[in-house]
Formats: sequence, C-alpha cells, structure tokens
Amino acid sequence: MDIIPQIIANSIIAGSVYTLIAVSFNLIYGATKFFNITHGVMTAIGAYAVFFFGKQMGLSVWVAVLIGVLIAGMIGWLLDRFIYRPLREKKASQLALLVASLGAFTVLQALIAIIFTSRFQTLTHGVGVQKTFEIAGGIITQTQVLIVIAALVVTAGLMFFLKCTRFGKAVRAVSDDNEVSKIIGINTDRIIGIIFFIGSAIAGLAGILVGFDTAIEPTMGLVLLLKGVIAAIVGGIGSIYGGAIGALLLGFVENFGIIKIASEWKDAIAFGLLILFLIFRPRGIVRT
Amino acid sequence: MNTDKEKLLQLKGVSVQYGGVHALDTVSVSLDEGEVVALMGPNGAGKSTILKAIFGLAPLHTGRVLWYERPFTPVPHEVVRNGIAFVPQGRRVFTTLSVEENLEIGGYGIRDEKELKKRIESVMDMFPALKQKRKTLSGTLSGGQQQMLAIARGLMIDPKVLLLDEPSLGLAPKVVKEVFKKIAEINKNRKTAIMIVEHNIQSLLSVAHRGYVLDKGRIVAEDEAEKLTSSGILERVFTGRL
Ligand SMILES: Nc1ncnc2c1ncn2[C@@H]1O[C@H](COP(=O)(O)OP(=O)(O)OP(=O)(O)O)[C@@H](O)[C@H]1O
Ligand SMILES: [Mg+2]
Repeated sequence: MDIIPQIIANSIIAGSVYTLIAVSFNLIYGATKFFNITHGVMTAIGAYAVFFFGKQMGLSVWVAVLIGVLIAGMIGWLLDRFIYRPLREKKASQLALLVASLGAFTVLQALIAIIFTSRFQTLTHGVGVQKTFEIAGGIITQTQVLIVIAALVVTAGLMFFLKCTRFGKAVRAVSDDNEVSKIIGINTDRIIGIIFFIGSAIAGLAGILVGFDTAIEPTMGLVLLLKGVIAAIVGGIGSIYGGAIGALLLGFVENFGIIKIASEWKDAIAFGLLILFLIFRPRGIVRT
Repeated sequence: MNTDKEKLLQLKGVSVQYGGVHALDTVSVSLDEGEVVALMGPNGAGKSTILKAIFGLAPLHTGRVLWYERPFTPVPHEVVRNGIAFVPQGRRVFTTLSVEENLEIGGYGIRDEKELKKRIESVMDMFPALKQKRKTLSGTLSGGQQQMLAIARGLMIDPKVLLLDEPSLGLAPKVVKEVFKKIAEINKNRKTAIMIVEHNIQSLLSVAHRGYVLDKGRIVAEDEAEKLTSSGILERVFTGRL
C-alpha cells in the first residue's frame, strides 16, 4: 500500500490544528502587537472544560463543547481586561507584557493540574473506535474530519468578518493604527477585548478537537502554542491568511520530513523551518 | 475679532509634562465658530501637544479643555462625538485599508448605512483624485493623496471643528498649494472652524484669521494673522532670538 496518501492526510490534519492556533494567535497579535503566550493554555482550558462538563457532569457533547469554547473565550477576555489592558494603559514595555503573559500561562496551567491532576485524560468514554473515512487511500477519523472543517470555517469566517463587516474593518483599523482609531471614535479597548474573546475561543476549540482526537493533559498548550506560533511567523505574523498558509506548510513539512526518519524529529523539523524563515524570509510567506 | 461669537473650543491654563519636560506650560488658546486659527512655532514648541490635549491624548497636568464654554474631560474615542475631527501629524491613513474603507471607518459613528454611503460620495466629490482610487490600498497612494485622504477621512463626520497638524509636511510645493486650497474651501463652504499647525507660513497666511506663536511650551504671541507676520516675531522665534 502506498503511504503517500496517508501522509498527505496526516499533513492536512496537523496543518488544520496549527491553523486554528495560528490564525487566532495572529488575530490577537494583529490588534495588540503583543506576543500572547497565554494563548497556548486556552487550548487546555477548552479541553478541560469539556472534560468537566461533558465527561464528569455528563452534559451532552455539543453542550459541553459550546461551554468549553465560551469559557476559553471568557478567560481570554478577562486576562485582557484585568492584566493586559491595565499594562497597555500604563504604557508597559513589550517585555513586561510578555512576562505577564508567561506568568498567566504558568498559573492557569498549574491550576488545571491542581484541579484535574497531571494525568492524561480522554474526552470520550471508553476506548470506543471512532468512525473512519477513507479518502483517496488515506484513513481519517470522524474527529479529524471535524478538525479540517473547523480550520476551514474559522479561517474563511475570520477573513470574511475582517474584510466585509463594519466591526471587522474597525479591527483592521485598530491593528493598523491604534491611536488614530481612537481619534476616529473607535473604542479600541473594547475591540481588543472582543478580539481576545474570539481568539481565545478559537484556541479553546482547537484544544477540544485535539482532546477528542488524542488525549488531554494540562501541559498540552505549550506544544500547540509553539507549533501555532511557528506557523504564524512562517506564514506572516498578524495575518489570518498567512497564519493558515504557514500552518498548512508546517503540517506538510513535518509529516513529509519524517518519512525516512523517526517521528521524534518532528519538533526539530518545525524549528528548522522557523529558523530558515527567520533567516531568509523573516516577514513570512505573505510578507506582513 | 469675533468676540461676539460663541467660543467653540478653548484650552485654559493647560500644562502638559512628559517626565521632566514641560511640553506645554499654562497655555490658553481658543477657537470661534467658523474661524481658522494657526499654531506656529519651532520644532518641539508644543504645537502637536495642544491638539493632542484636546483629544485626551496628552496628560493634562493643570488646566481645562472647554467645549461651548463648558469644561469636559476628553476621552480619546469620545471627543469625535462632539463634532471635532483630528487629522494628526504625518498623515497616518490606515495603510492596510483601501481609500473607501478609510472613509468608511472615518464615519465609524454613523449607524445608518445609507447616510454613510452618502457621506462617502459627498467627500469623494470634494477629492476627485480619491474617487479614482476608491479601491486602492491607501498605503500605495502618493504623499499628497494620503494627506487628502487623511483630511477627507476627518470630514466624514461633517465636523464643526477640524484640527490639522502640519498638513503640508513632506509635500511638494504644488501639492501644498492644492492642500491649502482644499482647506480654505472646507472653511468657506462648510463653515468648519479649523485649528491648524503649520510650518509653511506663506500658505498658512492665505487661510488663517488668527494665530498663536509658541516657543518651548509657552505662547509668546497671539494676534491676527497679518499682524503676526509684520511684527517680526516669527523670525525671532524661528531663529531662536527671542
Ligand atoms: N509622548 C511623549 N513623550 C515624551 N515627550 C514628548 C511626548 N510627546 C511630545 N513630547 C515632548 O514635548 C515637546 C513638545 O512636542 P510637540 O510634539 O508638541 O512639538 P511640536 O511643536 O508639535 O513639534 P514639531 O514641529 O516637531 O512637530 C517636545 O519637547 C517633545 O519632545
Ligand atoms: Mg508636531
């Protein structure tokens, strides 16, 4: 059997997960110009909310997912409202924001571990085999189909929203020039708050989907953040479209890179790609 | 002049400090209905800070801002609701938005879609060069076109007051002339009161009624525009022989 179709399928699935992280990271980065590390832990927050409400409380899967996404969004909004926004108002340096964000990441991750232990958990009951599909010789599970659909819908949705809606245009204005946006009458803090909500909710969704696909653990956010950020930088920092392209490229490079070598090399390959871009095309594929 | 008219906008005894630097030191300026007032002075005199103070973008150490003789605490994104438009120094159009989108966002407070469209068309009619570039990314416009767009964006709210910070900066003489023609037109046709910061004294005198001369954060002269030029104060301030 030819392995290429399966590798392509795996590339697209990985690329889709990275897409969700990268585009939401870029959405927030665009509006704030700040490297939001806490973004990673939103994946774990979403996943553990589903674990709690779905598996432990026994709510239906869809309700639990909805709650998980909303909780991630809400916590993102709260972090901005009570940590990042006061820092912005005090004209804190980028470094201060970065450290605050790292601190919030660590605290939230620790809280999850304290409440739910550090053990691996699954979001589904038992080890029930998922429904699978075969597409052009590649096997893909039901959850993985959802991951790909989610990535497509989120990316297209965000692009439409930014391009065509009044609110989206205001977001682009704020990303372009915060001060002039204020002068024109845009409540930039409110816009940034909403952006944090949307971006964090998307990251939460990514964590939930990964949880259904494999398993969850409190530290799951770190690897996802790193991959998402690599994709964001490779594609073009701050750009939705760029984030998605970078994520897909990363998915393919990682999965094709390990055809002949051990899969432990995946992360090294990802960082190799990042370094190549930082040297030869630092503004990313779409050149932001 | 214009003492019978109601004072639209005033700064009274305003001081602004950045660290130890006195950007403004108990400065008072005013703008009447329909008036064009010039703010002149060398680099770092505090001209931009006056305009920023009106928008709450500079921290007031002392003093007040008054709108129709009533004090108000300027919150940057709310000042525009009074009908005050600010075109800041350095053009600062939204470079990643198209010309049309810049205007659209300039009318951010206008809820009625039809009204918004109407305003865009009426502003475009004033600036035919922009009309042709409607879908163009404004980052790719020429300096003069960007300045026109920045002014046009300010006009989207149909302002009572327009604050202009060095609209001629970095533009070719011919373009400067065009910009000032537009500014005079705006004042004449729309009765918009204008407070304008400008280095280009020649162009300024063609439009300004009254002027203030600033130096090191203080107002050193205030008079009708022609009198300011004939007094020789400008030369003295700009050559540092005050
Ligand atoms: N954000 C700031 N932080 C610190 N100092 C500032 C800030 N903004 C202005 N200043 C200082 O305040 C003083 C007045 O600045 P302002 O920009 O108002 O001058 P200006 O008259 O507009 O000059 P120019 O003609 O160069 O635009 C200057 O000494 C400037 O360095
Ligand atoms: Mg200035």
